Amino acid sequence: MDLTHKDVKSIIGIIDDAQHLDDIELVFAGFRLHVKRSSGSDTGGRAPPSASFESPLPAASPKLAQATQPAARARVEQPAAEGEIVIRAPMLGTFYRAPSPGKNPFVEVGQRVTPDDSVGVIEVMKLFNSIRAGVHGTIVRINVENAALVEFNEALIVIAAD
Amino acid sequence: MTKPPFKRIFVANRGEIAVRVIRACESLGIESVVGVSEADRDSLAAQLASHVVCIGPASASLSYLKPEALITAALGTGCKALHPGYGFLSERASFSRLCGESGLVFIGPSPEAIEAMGDKLTAIRHADAANVPRVPGSGRVSTKAEAQAEAERIGYPFLFKASAGGGGRGMRIVRSSAELGPAMDSAAAEAQAAFGDATLYMEKYIESARHIEIQILADAHGNVVHLGERDCSTQRRHQKLIEEAPSPFISDDVRRTLTEAAVRLARRVDYRGAGTVEFVYDESTKQAYFLEMNTRIQVEHPVTEMVTGRDLVVEQIHIAAGEAISFSQDEVRLSGHAIECRVNAEDPSRNFAPGPGRIVEWQEPSGEGVRVDSHCYAGYMVPPYYDSLLGKLIVHGPSREAAVEKMLTAIDRFKVVGVPTTLGFHRSVMGHDDFAAGRVNTRWVEEHFLAAKSAVTPSGKQPGKPGVAA
Repeated sequence: MDLTHKDVKSIIGIIDDAQHLDDIELVFAGFRLHVKRSSGSDTGGRAPPSASFESPLPAASPKLAQATQPAARARVEQPAAEGEIVIRAPMLGTFYRAPSPGKNPFVEVGQRVTPDDSVGVIEVMKLFNSIRAGVHGTIVRINVENAALVEFNEALIVIAAD
Repeated sequence: MTKPPFKRIFVANRGEIAVRVIRACESLGIESVVGVSEADRDSLAAQLASHVVCIGPASASLSYLKPEALITAALGTGCKALHPGYGFLSERASFSRLCGESGLVFIGPSPEAIEAMGDKLTAIRHADAANVPRVPGSGRVSTKAEAQAEAERIGYPFLFKASAGGGGRGMRIVRSSAELGPAMDSAAAEAQAAFGDATLYMEKYIESARHIEIQILADAHGNVVHLGERDCSTQRRHQKLIEEAPSPFISDDVRRTLTEAAVRLARRVDYRGAGTVEFVYDESTKQAYFLEMNTRIQVEHPVTEMVTGRDLVVEQIHIAAGEAISFSQDEVRLSGHAIECRVNAEDPSRNFAPGPGRIVEWQEPSGEGVRVDSHCYAGYMVPPYYDSLLGKLIVHGPSREAAVEKMLTAIDRFKVVGVPTTLGFHRSVMGHDDFAAGRVNTRWVEEHFLAAKSAVTPSGKQPGKPGVAA
């Protein structure tokens, strides 16, 4: 049984639209999918849902051990200009720009986004947490490379809000 | 130099023990990665480690107690092993197991060994099987009738204790049968709230007790060695304040009995790594009984290092890599006397209230036989989120008297401004006749020392003046 990104997206869509649902659990032979509406996020007023699933695709976490070395003290963060929103990592984990290897990235610089658009995913021990734009705007900068380990609260993406 | 046992180790802790592990790594040519909370980004550990990763917000439950974040950070930075320090996740069997399943070497015992010692009733069963005497007491008691019957057998006073317990929670003294019912109810409720498990058992209450513990090391090759005892009888509310080695009063016979018992227990649970078997010594009957085993490095490990000249954290790392302990039992030689004082950011004159804040001045004593294990420095902000330990002052001298003298001198040379400290309290204890005579039991601080002083007034040189502007 394969679970495609499209499947996950539509499941997230279901919970996102259904205000009375807080989480959905699907169990098939070989995998379990747990989608949960998260609370507490710095991306804006509403709490975006986050999806997590035990990855059925072994290729979903490539080269974890070779992920970019973080250097907390050396990292210089470019300050956000007026009207710019910084999307920060809500947790430590491995940041992926695309839903799975070989797929197109969620967003590119210059792209228009709406609050519900995914801009990336962060994997923590095979649990994938989707990162939402949270605002209407345009992607200005993407600070993190694909498959990099990101720290808690690290600036991931900068959006010029409308 | 021989090849280091690991290329890179993840330090899953904070404060002085994180610094201690980083230094051990340095001495072995191993790179260290420390996972810090937001509040610890400027910590000494973060400055000393080869790499730093922020694992979460200040709250420990979202950072230092988060297994997934720590393991992801360790793997993501290319670490092959993880050192849990003490506290936090160090004695959580599920964390040790998760590390193993994720391909990380947990620098500590197997999940099975942690489980065997983590539940007190299970630990007591293992102790029985290893012929290690326990405090006279019961198995699990569920009803008051059962407890009444056991009380007749054990005698009053006795203690209710939580099987999942530790740190005095879920514990009640019962001095008469009238007290039994209410004490049992409140102990069970407290145990349920603190540990999610209301299971209780009973133990004879020892009125005059000394706390003696045996340090052991065990490797994957069947070697188990002990490194003698530590006496940690100077306590307040079950929290150790001063530890020393050797104990100022136990006989060679008692020492031999306890060290042999500790080694038997370690073998029984197929122990791996550094561990401590704790005993309570009844001064009236001159009997020592098994209390519990701590399956990690202890705060007070330096006193053992000072009298044996062995590096316990380095041995932990070697053992985790599958190597043998670097010395045999015959090569363990105890020399002189060592004392450790825990320097906490607490105000003894205000009932030891914790006082976090900015350290304005920090000058450690140094010299022959003086050691300070600390993560503090001038300008460091002691955060309010974690424990109040600022550091440990350890001295070593040829005799106990010499060590006490050295400690007094070292305390006077230890200058801390900006936060309250327990240094003044330690000076008073070191100068007390009872301490000098080795007449301290686990209730001495509260019932004699503090009761007599009613307020510990820091003497003139006490530098910990709270409220000094930064």
